[in-house]
Amino acid sequence: MQTWLRRIATLFGLAFIVALVLTGCGPDAATQNTSTLENLASGGAMTKGGPPPFVVEMWSYFLSPFLWEGAWIAVKITTAAMTIGLLLGLGLALMRLSGLWVVRSSAWFYIWVVRGTPQLLQLVFLFDALPELGIRLSPITTAIIGFALNEAAFSAEIIRGGILSVNRNQSIAADSLGMGKFLTLRRIILPQAMRAILPGVFNDTIGMLKLTSIASIIFVNELTFRAQQIVGQNFRFFTVFIAAGLIYLVMTSAISVLQSWLEKRYDLEADRTRRKGASPLARLTGGFLFAASKPDETGPAAATPKNAAPAQPAIVPRRQLDEAWLKRIATAPDIAAPVGEPFVVARNVQKSYGDREVLSGIDLTVNRGECVVILGPSGSGKSTFLRMINHLEGLDWGEIRVDGLTVGYDYTGGKPRPVSNLAAAKAKARIGMVFQSFNLFGHLTALENVVEAPVRVHGVSAGDAETLAMELLASVGLGNHTQHLPHRLSGGQQQRVAIARALAIKPRLMLFDEPTSALDPELVGEVLTVMRRLAAAGMTMIVVTHEIRFARDVADRVIFMDEGKIVEQGPPEQVIDAPQHERTRRFLRMVEQDVTEGELG
Amino acid sequence: MTARVWTSAVAFALAFGTASAALAQAPACEPDKLAEKYPGLVGKTVKFGADPQTPPYTMRDGTDFDKIIGADTDLAKAVFDCHGIPYEIFLGGWSGLLPATISGQIDVFWNNLYYTAERAKQVDYVLYMQAGTGALTQAGNPKSIDSIEAMCGATAAAGLGTVEEAALKDQDGKCTAAGKPGVTVMTYPDLAAGIRLVQTGRADIMMSDLALVQSLAIDNPDTYAVAFKILTGFTIGAAVKNGNDELLQAIYDGIVAVQAAGTQKAIFETYKIDPDLVVAAEIRKD
Repeated sequence: MQTWLRRIATLFGLAFIVALVLTGCGPDAATQNTSTLENLASGGAMTKGGPPPFVVEMWSYFLSPFLWEGAWIAVKITTAAMTIGLLLGLGLALMRLSGLWVVRSSAWFYIWVVRGTPQLLQLVFLFDALPELGIRLSPITTAIIGFALNEAAFSAEIIRGGILSVNRNQSIAADSLGMGKFLTLRRIILPQAMRAILPGVFNDTIGMLKLTSIASIIFVNELTFRAQQIVGQNFRFFTVFIAAGLIYLVMTSAISVLQSWLEKRYDLEADRTRRKGASPLARLTGGFLFAASKPDETGPAAATPKNAAPAQPAIVPRRQLDEAWLKRIATAPDIAAPVGEPFVVARNVQKSYGDREVLSGIDLTVNRGECVVILGPSGSGKSTFLRMINHLEGLDWGEIRVDGLTVGYDYTGGKPRPVSNLAAAKAKARIGMVFQSFNLFGHLTALENVVEAPVRVHGVSAGDAETLAMELLASVGLGNHTQHLPHRLSGGQQQRVAIARALAIKPRLMLFDEPTSALDPELVGEVLTVMRRLAAAGMTMIVVTHEIRFARDVADRVIFMDEGKIVEQGPPEQVIDAPQHERTRRFLRMVEQDVTEGELG
Repeated sequence: MTARVWTSAVAFALAFGTASAALAQAPACEPDKLAEKYPGLVGKTVKFGADPQTPPYTMRDGTDFDKIIGADTDLAKAVFDCHGIPYEIFLGGWSGLLPATISGQIDVFWNNLYYTAERAKQVDYVLYMQAGTGALTQAGNPKSIDSIEAMCGATAAAGLGTVEEAALKDQDGKCTAAGKPGVTVMTYPDLAAGIRLVQTGRADIMMSDLALVQSLAIDNPDTYAVAFKILTGFTIGAAVKNGNDELLQAIYDGIVAVQAAGTQKAIFETYKIDPDLVVAAEIRKD
């Protein structure tokens, strides 16, 4: 009810302002010269007791088809130029973000020239200089091209800002799922960048609509120019310009409505469950019209968000994981290596960032079905090594084979070189990865997060992917949260969605990069439970973690890394309970102390 | 007697015949002879450019905004109709007209264009009227300004970068040199803005094209008056791109014919422009 009251009050407020504009200027008008009033195009009849002549006159201009035709021209130019300009702007923004110097600097040069020179001169140039080259453009075409080229330069910077505003982890997660660059851009980055992009782009749109008047220099007769022509003929500037101003206001208001609708559309805070069931008109008006009266009444799914508040400790599901189902995933029929035989083989893996050597020759074999835990202090290179297995990081030297194949490397030149279609190679390898900071796609619901890669990368039909995703989410105890956006879920729930998302590509290998480090202690258990069951089902897993108890209970083998080398490895009872090396002992003492302190605190 | 009568009759007939022959040589309106007289213009629609914010030369019709009227527009129409040349009016901002003519986007610039030697380097003119400067003031000329010399201490408006602005600045210098208060010069971007300055009393005088100022004063006698006028010696013409000789000739011939028929004066009277400003058509290329 309150929202409705607010809306009605806003409408009345607007109506009041318009009424003030219409009538408040009346007395002024009376002092003006009225001798040319009979020249009026559609002179209003001035009857006694009727509205003041000023309002009648202004109203007649406001309704003038002559002015509205001009407005329509402005709208046509703006629509076409914005569409072309945004597409070009996206291209320029991507060029600006390119790794190639030439591409980057040519985009910069274009933006520098176009933003730095007056648009009026650009229009005159296009209209009057191109005929020298045999290109003769009509006024409207010239205006569209001129405004589009200009908008491209401005929107490129807005779009680039939007893209940069999206957390880099989002594209890393997409990368790990085998999503290509453009797929990631289209499905993951741009929808999230929209929130940052939209306000700037709509500023530009409104600005352009009003600025089309400068195209009068190249014979475009739009609204302002037409208004000026009427004034040039009868000098009734006051009424004519107010009428033109009102026409602009009508058009810019429509643009503003579109903007707020789109902003709601891309608003992560918005309740998606409410929108899904809403009528088309409610969706079009951002819920302004025909919205359901109370969000809580729209469906059972919408009634649950309060349970999902991150502040409350998550309820660990009592539901058992579907062991048989997990077993089916973990023992995919297309794995060449038999259970217990070498599956991941790393040989002399080396990596440096500039002068700093991160990995100095790692040799490691992980057998199929094995769960290997890598321990080590920060900066030991363990996460880097993990990310090299699925090629999120490139190899400098050495090789890593998963089930006999390199993940996107070409060794024909002796040195490892990434293959041209890296994303396809990663997709084919089907290595699932779970990150410390979850990296769920922020604009997609839990279900959509899980469905994304199977549908977009592996070509699974939407229906099949959804069935699989529901099954997976139920397996990790989130059957009730499928329609929730990540920010409505607790950390532990998010991480379980992330595991379901990784499992949805039917992975042959699962990589876990400190999956519980970002979680509150009471949420760690729910994630470890899922991992434990996954290991029990026979999934090949490599886990980087500080969870000593998990390592002791679940790992088949524990590896301790320090300064880019494997210091020692063996079964957990050997490495954790009876470490050979002093470095390992020191590390374990420190970790255990932390855990104790944490428990006391 | 009879012989004399006969001789006279023959002489008269001869004289008449010669005169008719001479008349036939002069430019005339022969729309059906387009292909014969200007073969290069057959099948061509001439685009002429104008700024519809420049009354009384080019403007929208107050009763039908879709119609373009004005002294220049009517003259141009008369000239093209005279030859049966189809035409199209291109409406744009005045300052865009010359570049568009030079680049060939339009064929003729026909809108209150003064002849200057500088412009003539890029376009060829057919001159048809004399230009003057008029000083617009409030009705009744409250400050009794009757010449540019009497403007010391006054506030005057002129279009940015026009000859009028230069003249006012010049006068300002003269006033201060003579120890009198100077002329405050306000410049405006479009004509309507300049007229508003006079209407609201922000300026005492607006200096602009004479025909425009006169028509304004005649249309609004309760609001405006002409303070004074100056014949500047400038002439106004239609301009085509250099080398477009056939079209130039057609325009020249057309204006000659239209002037001979008295049409130009009639058009000027319609728009309350002093018919004495008409000058005999003349081609000027440099």
